[in-house]
Amino acid sequence: MKATIDPVTLATPFFILTVILEIVLARFGKVEARYETKDTATSLTMGLFSTLSGLPVAGLSFAAAVWIYQHRLFDIPMTAVWAWVAVFLLEDLTYYWFHRISHERRVWWAAHVNHHSSQHYNLSTALRQTWTGGVAGTWALWLPLSFLGFPPAMVAIQKGVSLVYQYWIHTEAIRRLPGWFEAVMNTPSHHRVHHARNPRYLDKNYAGILIVWDRLFGTFQPELDEEPCRYGLVHNLGTFNILRVAFHEWIGIAADIVRAPRHLPGWVFGPPGWSPDGSRDTSASLKAAWQARQGAVPSAPEREAGLLPQQRQAET
Amino acid sequence: MNQAFFIQLAVSGVAVAAMVGLAAWANIARPVQPLDEARARQLLAEEFPERTLEGLWVAVDGLGAVAKSRAMALVLCRLGDGYVARQIPWAQALAASFKDGRISIDLADVAAPRAVIALDAWPPKGPQGELAA
Repeated sequence: MKATIDPVTLATPFFILTVILEIVLARFGKVEARYETKDTATSLTMGLFSTLSGLPVAGLSFAAAVWIYQHRLFDIPMTAVWAWVAVFLLEDLTYYWFHRISHERRVWWAAHVNHHSSQHYNLSTALRQTWTGGVAGTWALWLPLSFLGFPPAMVAIQKGVSLVYQYWIHTEAIRRLPGWFEAVMNTPSHHRVHHARNPRYLDKNYAGILIVWDRLFGTFQPELDEEPCRYGLVHNLGTFNILRVAFHEWIGIAADIVRAPRHLPGWVFGPPGWSPDGSRDTSASLKAAWQARQGAVPSAPEREAGLLPQQRQAET
Repeated sequence: MNQAFFIQLAVSGVAVAAMVGLAAWANIARPVQPLDEARARQLLAEEFPERTLEGLWVAVDGLGAVAKSRAMALVLCRLGDGYVARQIPWAQALAASFKDGRISIDLADVAAPRAVIALDAWPPKGPQGELAA
């Protein structure tokens, strides 16, 4: 659903200018950034056509939000500051859970996986957006906000603000920000971890704007200097074909269902990598194998943080 | 959808082309050297830390490698400035077609359909000249 004021549309010139700036500054060695031509083309083309692909479901999601709003619990004014503070917090909390299920359940991962499919991490990666998010139905997670009484346009604006915020954190050019900021806000460092395929970093840092949700719900993982992020998927794509990038996981789900239909619930709602015989890799199995290889030796930052092995186990 | 939407889409398309052109001009991809045996082993160890290699065949152009680990083939091939790895049954790798000094391995994966690797011969020979089957 598009609001009258669409922050993403307004920010598009900013997206273009900052990608250009990051490339030029990296070219002259002023910042750290890597751009591979075909990878960049894939990311930007995904972003370009994601605006079109969302249209078919936009009407349905808008109608659903309006209908829910007509049955709202409270009247929340768009003009009140407290209402914007509230929608900021509640939308960001909703985003955290949307993002978490988008990683932890295969049907929603199928819509989200393309955003993680680049082996690079730069501003163009931020624009590698889904083509199938609408049909995946995750927009329904925001409907309770309209039921509470937030006007659908207000929710849509805040969703746009969140998306624009998350754009600038897709960069290696910014290493660490001041401690207080890193403690509260999602930052390039935190989000690099989220895009990393190192077992230690898998399924961490789901935050949109506030990293506090990850700290609260036990999914926070700081970036460790001793373990540089390796970006992309557990099984990276072997092609730049944009249709395969957009649809490969959906095709994989369909193929699995055809092959073994009685396992349909697992194929669709199991974690990515789930299989009836456990022969494939899931985040949990990869982490378990990694932890077994690591033994009980804590890393230097973990020793400095005073983390005991069992705490480390819980965090990773 | 109105005319403004399509104008915005067209302008964005031009901007995408310009940014891709700029990225090509900037030449700031990761520097990647052709694979040698040590580098191939390192990458395979990162991808398949549980596996030990019984044989390794690195592409003559350094753009890929195939390794044997028990009943599995570990396949490594270059994509852009990175690498993609898959493991498939060794028999599946052995069945790969070999033509003009390249094997074309069907990876049976919609996300990585095929690996093409330049090798001197296929199927490969082991250290004692026996067929690695």
